[in-house]
Amino acid sequence: MSNLNHSQRIRCGIDTGGTFTDLVGLNEESGELVIAKWPSSPSEPEKALTGVIKDSKLAARDFASLVLGTTVATNAMIQRAGARVLFVTTKGFGDVPFIQRVNRKYHYSFEWKKPEPLVKREDCFEIDERVNYQGRVLTPLKDSSLNDLVEMVTERLENAESEDVVIAVCLLFSHLNPEHENLIKRHLETNFPSIPVSLSHQVAPIWREYERGSTTIADAYVKPVLQSYVQGVRESLDHLKLDCPWALMKSNGGHSSPARAEEEPVNMVLSGLSGGIIGGRYFGELAGWKDLVTLDMGGTSCDVGVIRDGKISYNTDYQIEWSIPIAAPFVDLTTIGAGGGSIAWIDKGGFLRVGPQSAGADPGPVCYGNGGEEVTVTDANLVLGRLNPDYFLAGKMRLTLEKATEKITELGRQMNMDTPQTAQAIVEMANENMANAIRVVSIDRGLDARDFTLVAFGGAGPLHAVGIVERVGMKRIVLPPHPGLCSAFGGLIADYQVDKIWSQYFRSDNVDWHTVRDEFDRLVQTALQELSDEGFSGKPEIEKTISMRYAGQNYEHDVRVADGGISETSLQNALAEFHRVHEHFYGYSIGHEVIELIKFSVKAIGRIPKPQLKPLTLEGNAKPIESRPVYFKEQGFLDCPVYRRSDLPSGFEETGPALIEEEDSMTLVHPENRIQVNEYGVITIEVN
Amino acid sequence: MEKIDSVTLSVINNALINACREMGTAMMRTSYSPIFNEGLDFSCVIFNPDGEMTGQAEFCPAMLGSAQYTVKWTIEELGLDAFKPGDVVIHNDPYRGQSHMPEHMVLKPVFFEDKLCCFVGNVAHICEIGGMAPGSFAAEATEVYQEGLRLPPVKIMSQGEYVQDVWRIILTNHRTPKSSWGDLHAMIGSLNIAETRMLELLERYGPEVFESAGTQLLDYSERWMRTEIKDIPNGVYHFKDCMEDDGVTDKPVWMRLKLVVKDDEIIADWRESDPQALGPVNATFAVTAAATYSAVLHVTNKDIPVNSGCFRPIRVITKAGTVVNVRHPGPSVGGNTETHPHLQNVVVAALSQAVPERAAASEAGTACNFLFGGVHPETGEYYTNYHFDGGGWGATVDHDGNSVMCPVNGNCRNTPAEVLETKYPFLTVEYSMRTDSGGAGKYRGGLGGRRVLRVVGPEITVSALMDRTKTNPWGLFGGEQGDSGGILVKKKGETDFRTFSEVYGTVCPSKFTCIALKEGDEVMILSPGGGGYGSPAERSLEAVAEDVRQGLVSVQSAEKIYGYKDC
Repeated sequence: MSNLNHSQRIRCGIDTGGTFTDLVGLNEESGELVIAKWPSSPSEPEKALTGVIKDSKLAARDFASLVLGTTVATNAMIQRAGARVLFVTTKGFGDVPFIQRVNRKYHYSFEWKKPEPLVKREDCFEIDERVNYQGRVLTPLKDSSLNDLVEMVTERLENAESEDVVIAVCLLFSHLNPEHENLIKRHLETNFPSIPVSLSHQVAPIWREYERGSTTIADAYVKPVLQSYVQGVRESLDHLKLDCPWALMKSNGGHSSPARAEEEPVNMVLSGLSGGIIGGRYFGELAGWKDLVTLDMGGTSCDVGVIRDGKISYNTDYQIEWSIPIAAPFVDLTTIGAGGGSIAWIDKGGFLRVGPQSAGADPGPVCYGNGGEEVTVTDANLVLGRLNPDYFLAGKMRLTLEKATEKITELGRQMNMDTPQTAQAIVEMANENMANAIRVVSIDRGLDARDFTLVAFGGAGPLHAVGIVERVGMKRIVLPPHPGLCSAFGGLIADYQVDKIWSQYFRSDNVDWHTVRDEFDRLVQTALQELSDEGFSGKPEIEKTISMRYAGQNYEHDVRVADGGISETSLQNALAEFHRVHEHFYGYSIGHEVIELIKFSVKAIGRIPKPQLKPLTLEGNAKPIESRPVYFKEQGFLDCPVYRRSDLPSGFEETGPALIEEEDSMTLVHPENRIQVNEYGVITIEVN
Repeated sequence: MEKIDSVTLSVINNALINACREMGTAMMRTSYSPIFNEGLDFSCVIFNPDGEMTGQAEFCPAMLGSAQYTVKWTIEELGLDAFKPGDVVIHNDPYRGQSHMPEHMVLKPVFFEDKLCCFVGNVAHICEIGGMAPGSFAAEATEVYQEGLRLPPVKIMSQGEYVQDVWRIILTNHRTPKSSWGDLHAMIGSLNIAETRMLELLERYGPEVFESAGTQLLDYSERWMRTEIKDIPNGVYHFKDCMEDDGVTDKPVWMRLKLVVKDDEIIADWRESDPQALGPVNATFAVTAAATYSAVLHVTNKDIPVNSGCFRPIRVITKAGTVVNVRHPGPSVGGNTETHPHLQNVVVAALSQAVPERAAASEAGTACNFLFGGVHPETGEYYTNYHFDGGGWGATVDHDGNSVMCPVNGNCRNTPAEVLETKYPFLTVEYSMRTDSGGAGKYRGGLGGRRVLRVVGPEITVSALMDRTKTNPWGLFGGEQGDSGGILVKKKGETDFRTFSEVYGTVCPSKFTCIALKEGDEVMILSPGGGGYGSPAERSLEAVAEDVRQGLVSVQSAEKIYGYKDC
């Protein structure tokens, strides 16, 4: 309860997951955490928001700030529940969203259907205009064409009934010369002031017309959904009389004012996922490590991210589904279908497989007793003694061992394996899938995962962490307190972050460095303006990068430009750095080759003060609450002490095997692993 | 041999696939030609020392079936003892197990504790290898010597050192040596990555487990494939198709198949096919085998891990000197891109008689190969480009065919207009789907595409090698055929597009070499539509109305074919 005379200062993060909406509040003065959990309500996300805030028992005046992670934009795309998009493009190119890149998802399948874009072919409008690869206008845009466009939109609006209508514009080479797109926007806004218009050179100023167009269509498609979500949140907060500043997590791991989120919804696609890696980094660093792999394993999927020297990496190539790309900056996460609910099955060749199908929350695993008939990873964990049937979700749900054992025995019979062996194999397959994801994300970046520390969270992460690191050859695991709430925590500590890019083509033997300097200045100014509009008032950090490749290559590497002003020397240094980067990644460089400069990016970060958590007050030693047999591959069943995580004091040390129970997760420590609890309750496991 | 538990086996299988994927990513990011970095026209493979493919990542399927012949030949010709650590062998000879001249394999042995444990390989389409036409698709070639530089299996790296003599020969004979240099380095770089991964695996599991895992993975895929074939009714099934002409003479060339399904085996007997053609539409044996394998994979479960084990229950019989097994010095460059999909469609059509619910009507069956080159007006450098276009796919028992897709024998991506125009003096005037080009049916064939390119430099030399401009992709079970394709030209100042035969007097309208186009001339490439499946009378009215609304079928056609009434 809040003090009547003195309101608390609580920074708050809320994460809306598929099953639960989580809240973590941090008392800025005491460093204490407030946590709450409420069932999600996908059709009315505001409802769970109200629910979880009420459940936290915090008063409106206690809130200092609030950051929300949301999956509404992602879900609208996946469920195809967005607006009706009218797509405007250069004459001759109206079919590009349908043609896509002409490759297919499966090599040998007649069953596969090419995904439909987020627009109908009847709603594509070609306009007579043309710009060439140098940004020069070949065919000017005439007023008569603009008038034809207005007529088309008018006609569509007449037939649209109750649908939300939005407009996406992607003209050829608009990233080099945006004049025509701007003309179209002005004309449309004059005639249809209430219809949102997304322009490709603003949404994604990159080359490749399909990828730029697809991103622009996606931006327009989710705009009304996001606007109504923001509106709903506003009303709920008003209703709760909560008037603190609030923001939404962006895909890039920063946060965004509600107004800007409504304007640039394409940046919100991974809003619900980016908090995890931010939270993971915080706890990794709190344990003293800066080279981290984060692993967020829940019920249906697992997200893996890489942090190098405290820096998160970013990507701009997200796919809603096969061949429907979104080119917008997002924290570089790889998601695979591996979670507690992943289903174990035997393929036609007799191999055991786990996932990507999931039993979900309903009916869920066999052991939930809700009619689930298919064996899941959770069932296997239960049979191996790794879960406590009486303390699942702190006892809110009772698991039934008998049925799970029976189903796993049945599965094992098909492979000539006994029950524990089968369950062990299921867990190992799930671990292997996650280990592979870690290998791929690290390898793609030229990194060796074995030099990294795993930060494991999400409800199921701590249970699988040791099995995974053993496969990858990693040595150390960090487990945040309240592992299930790490994403919400990430929201409350996220920085402000704005990304701006400019695409222009230069050869290294002919760079107009004055123009480069001026454009970088322009990007920086725009980014700083946005930061200040968001309410950031401190001293921002600016990162400048140039995407480069050898003349003739087609894909670029990002090279950081040294801090400070742009000069001929700083550009020369960046070119030299490119040779080094290429050598590092691909084993060779071509010292005399011309380098092409393709894209210029600015990242402006407004750091917010990092929270100071309250140290544990517990001292002395902790005793196990019980012991129970747990199966290990080498040793079979071993008697394993079980600890409550809340009993573990600062400085606690123990050698595995052991289980550590807490409300929203379970940690398994294998034999000979060393564990240690630090002053903030963060657990480190050292694996031999 | 040590019996390995299924979990370990599965883990090793994943590791092999991952290593191949990594090779692919490195290739894409470092290579020079759009056909690599945008098109992804390459394949990454791992072989055991017996020359059997144990792992692959899915980039270009045509290459996978043929790769094992390339590797087996290489091992047989050089002998295993010839391989030393750090060697890389290059090979593109169509008469030594390759598929056509542009396809180059680089192969590197992986040694662990002085023992050769596996090979890592990369097969890729090098876009310019000399010969009579820029882009090395000489549609009028009558022998291999006009198709470019032929390399038997030779080392280009020896124990980690460049074999400079071989590099100099290659780079002297290709028109764009800089691209070849960059692309070959990308290929070799990818081998080094895969080699590192294999060494990690060997370190972790030891050579014995590694070796027997390979053997067991092959057996596993074979077992699965046999159970799949067992589900196909026994019988003898016939089908045939032709190449509409061969580039040199204006006569069709027939491929005839007798396909026998017996229990858990398939025999594809191609011996009744026509003698080899004068022009370059001949397939090598590796191509015919690859097409047969790929067709069988299409009608069976898509999840079978693809390795040489899958191919064991499938026997391919041909006669040397026919269009399906070319003999020296017959040309073969179009055999891999054009004849290959035809062969594959023929196998699917034969199998459709046994398993109608698993088959599809014919897809476009042509890659619409369009080659061009010249001196770039701005850089003054010589360039060439290999361009392809996707077409309509055939409909199936429960859905319409996909529109504008890469032909079945490849899985390449198109080159974006913005990339094409930045690199070459062609302006894309139109890139669209052709209304009414999909074959009518209960399920409609996919639509073909239309691309119009305008020359914006003083001159570009163009060549083409496509098919199905006079013939059509067939429908199945009452479905109608898809529209045929074409390649047309419109000279500057003229109003109509005409065939190259009409304008330039080429023997074949779809296969010609080295025509000089001038500034303002336009080329139109039309890809065929896919065939329909089932009678159009059975198509639902809602589906017809939706097609009309989306402009995939015109009102006129809908009225004529489906009895649609516009209201």
